[in-house]
Order: sequence, then structure tokens, then C-alpha cells
Amino acid sequence: MSSVAILLIATLGLAVIFGLMGVINLAHGEFITFGAYAALLASGWGLPFPLAVGFATVSMALYGVLVERLIIRHLYNRIFDTLLATWGLSLVMYQAVVLTFGSVTPGIGMSPANLSVGDYSVSWYILFLILVAVFLILLTGLILTRTNYGMMARAAIQDSTMASAVGIESGRINTMTFALGSGLAGFAGAILLPAFPATPSMGFAFSIKAFLLVVVGGPVTLTGIVSSGGALGTIASVVANTWTTVLGDIVFLMATMLLLRIFPKGISENWRIKL
Amino acid sequence: MFAISNASGGYSESPVIRKVALTVEKNEVVAILGRNGTGKTTLMKYIMAMLPVSAGTVSLDGKTLPEKTAGRVKAGIGYVPQGRFVFPRMTVVENIAVAAVACKQNAKETIESLFSDFPLLSQRAKQLAGSLSGGQQQILAMARALATKPRLLLLDEPSEGIQPSIVDEIAEMLLSLNQRQNMTILLAEQNLDFSLDISSRAYIMDGGTIVQSATKQELMSDKKLLQRLLGV
Repeated sequence: MSSVAILLIATLGLAVIFGLMGVINLAHGEFITFGAYAALLASGWGLPFPLAVGFATVSMALYGVLVERLIIRHLYNRIFDTLLATWGLSLVMYQAVVLTFGSVTPGIGMSPANLSVGDYSVSWYILFLILVAVFLILLTGLILTRTNYGMMARAAIQDSTMASAVGIESGRINTMTFALGSGLAGFAGAILLPAFPATPSMGFAFSIKAFLLVVVGGPVTLTGIVSSGGALGTIASVVANTWTTVLGDIVFLMATMLLLRIFPKGISENWRIKL
Repeated sequence: MFAISNASGGYSESPVIRKVALTVEKNEVVAILGRNGTGKTTLMKYIMAMLPVSAGTVSLDGKTLPEKTAGRVKAGIGYVPQGRFVFPRMTVVENIAVAAVACKQNAKETIESLFSDFPLLSQRAKQLAGSLSGGQQQILAMARALATKPRLLLLDEPSEGIQPSIVDEIAEMLLSLNQRQNMTILLAEQNLDFSLDISSRAYIMDGGTIVQSATKQELMSDKKLLQRLLGV
């Protein structure tokens, strides 16, 4: 459960940007890293942890606006150029973290309270992350179905030509989508900080699995990643707990390949639902 | 009220439509007739600023229209494309609401008034648009275009691929829109009966340009002209 939750928290930002803009943000991992360091920075100033998370989310959303305006906007419908540009951005961001904070930085300590269930002891914080994941997915779902922005963003990705033919200005919508996705990535880095101490390369570990979930999830993004994340995360963590984490990762990759063999366009290809 | 002059354009350097000029007066229903591949759809896309290459001017009420598609919609052109293109994974309500909010209209009021005009849609309000039949999607695409509060409604082959009984219904809807709500309509069609049912005059296209303009009476009386130009 908890590893699925962590996986989904780390994936949601990428899924929103890919699912609503068709842009593959190769710098997604570094956006998570930036979020983590932003939260570290803020708690260094004396902000309590929840406020530090808020600070990381908002500042990454603003950073997302900047990146969309300066880079992504000029590369619409040029998928390889976008890949290269965001990959370049990820290298710059990684080096920026290394230069500013050094290559190893201690994280914020894990909350000590533990919950014992029979023979197992689960950290409260990990349990709390499950709630966070549920809340985050519901919130994203509500934003996409109940707000004007959400409706316009969904229309734009389903048929961009027709969207502009009913008056939707795709530029503004895309800026907001990128900001939302970046904010979610920043939030992920910050909220995972007590469980995953910040290091410059932390984003990389998350982003590989995040990309696979999005691809397996397919065109119905939100339920797609929840299903793929649920399935792949559960299988991998059962294997990892029974044998080793390496075997867990191997099984994760094999299951991904198997699913993509069966559903080349993602598991949600023929789902007739909204999100 | 609406005028195109010297319109040329297409998908690459070689133009599909050449030097098209036409006008539509307020409250008129005008048809653009022609066989397949004569440039009707391209002309519609030209009006909506959807072509990669284009030259010439389009104006509404004497004002030249903005350069971008979304701007033209906001300036008062409603567009129902050939093949309908409703947003498949959005509900009927959402398809209408999204067009209304994009054009700064009150979504709730727009939906209420369109549902009373098109009761068929209100019965399927929560259904995904992708699950509707062709005829239902066509009506939804019309309602969606009307939600942008247009002064001119463009329809590209509204009768194509739709069963005859629904075609008659659509003709009635368009007539009532024109007569009761004073909607100005420009439609591209190859279905002659359908076009003559609702329009008062027509432009005939061939080879990417307008070759003739005729009133309904002229078209009805001169069958040879029709055969020559439309191959019907």
C-alpha cells in the first residue's frame, strides 16, 4: 500500500503534464528534487514542515510557469525537441543542486512515532503518505472535472484543433497545466522528504518508475496511473519484501514489459471514462 | 454582414482554394455546394483560420477577424466541423459548458437554454459524448457551437453519414434557429435536397473556387445547371 502511495505521489505531476499537454517532461525527477530542497531551505528558515511543503509546492508551480513560457511553449508538437530540451533542463537542474548544496545533504529526520500492527511496525509517516496520495488524486480529479480550467484542459488534449474552434486559448491552458504538474512534483519532493532524504540524484530514482506508470497507464491518465501504479507497485513490493528490492525492481520492469505487450497504447486505451 | 474576399489557402505552397469571394447577409441561410474535393471543407477551415497557408481577408460586420482560431470564435463565428468532433471523453453537459466558459458565457444558463431547444440532449446530459450515435453527436456539435454565442454559424456537411430521419430533424432545427433566433448560417453541403430545404441561395464551388452563384429558384428550375456543376 505505502509503496504504491509513494509511487503515485511521485508520478502524479508527470502524469498531469503528459496526460493534458502531451509533453514528456524528462526533467520531472529534478522537479521533485527541487521541491525537496525548496522544503529543506524553507524549514532551514524556521518554517514548520507543513508550511515548508506549501512553500515548495507554490515555488515549483511558479518555476513551472517560467519553464513553460521560456522553453516548452516554443516546442509544441515537436516531441523530440521537447524531450531534448527537458533532458538538457534536467542536467542543468541536477548540476545546480550539486553546486549549491553539495552532492550529499542530510534530510529532515523521520517522525519517530511508530505504529505497531501485530509483529509489524509501520512508521506513522508512511501511513500518512497513503492518505496524502488518496487526497492528492481526489483533489487532482476535482480540479480536472469541476473547474473551468480543468474542463478546458481536457478538451484541449482530446482534440486541440476543435478546442480552439470553441474559443479555448491553448497557450494559457498549457501554462496552467505545466504549473499544476510542476507544483505536484514539488509537493512530492517535499512531502516525501521525511521518508526519502534529499540528495541531488533522488529525483532520478522516482522518475524512471513514474515514466513507466504513465506509459502503462495510457490515455485515461488519472485512473490509468492509479491502476498501473496499484498493480505494478503491489507486485513489486510483495516481491521486494519476500526476497530483495533488486528482485522487486526486476519484477516491476518485467511486469511493465508484459503489460505493454498486451496493451501497446496503455491499459486504459479503450476505457470509456472521463479521467 | 459577413464577407470573404480574395481568399486563397491550403496545406502547403500549392493552394487548395483560390481567390474565393462571397458574402452572407444578416439572417440569411447560404449554402456552398459542390462535389467531393472541390474545396468546401478547406474553405470552412480557411474561415476558421485553421489552414497552415492562407491569404485574403475575412470580415464580420465590417471588422476584419482576428488571426487565430480562438479569436475568431470569440469574435462571433460558431463552427460545426465535418465529422462532428465532439470531445469524446467528456459528457454532453461538459461539451457544451466548455465552449460556453471558453467564450466567457454563463455555463449554467447556456446549458439550460440549449437543453430546452434540444431536448434530445437533456435526456443524455451525463452520457459521454463518445457514446452517442452519429446523429446525436451532430446535434451536440451544433449545440456546442451555439454555446459560443455566435452571430454566424458555419456548418460543414451537417447531413453527412446521418440517417435520413435525423437529417430532416436537423434541417428543421436549423430553420427554426434562423427564423426564431435570427441566426445567420453558412453551410457547406453536397446533399442538394437538404440544402435547398433551408437555404435561400447558394454558391457553387469547383476546382477550389466559386464558379457560380444562384438563388434557390434558379437552382430548382435549372436542373441542367445542377447536373453540370454537381454531377447529380
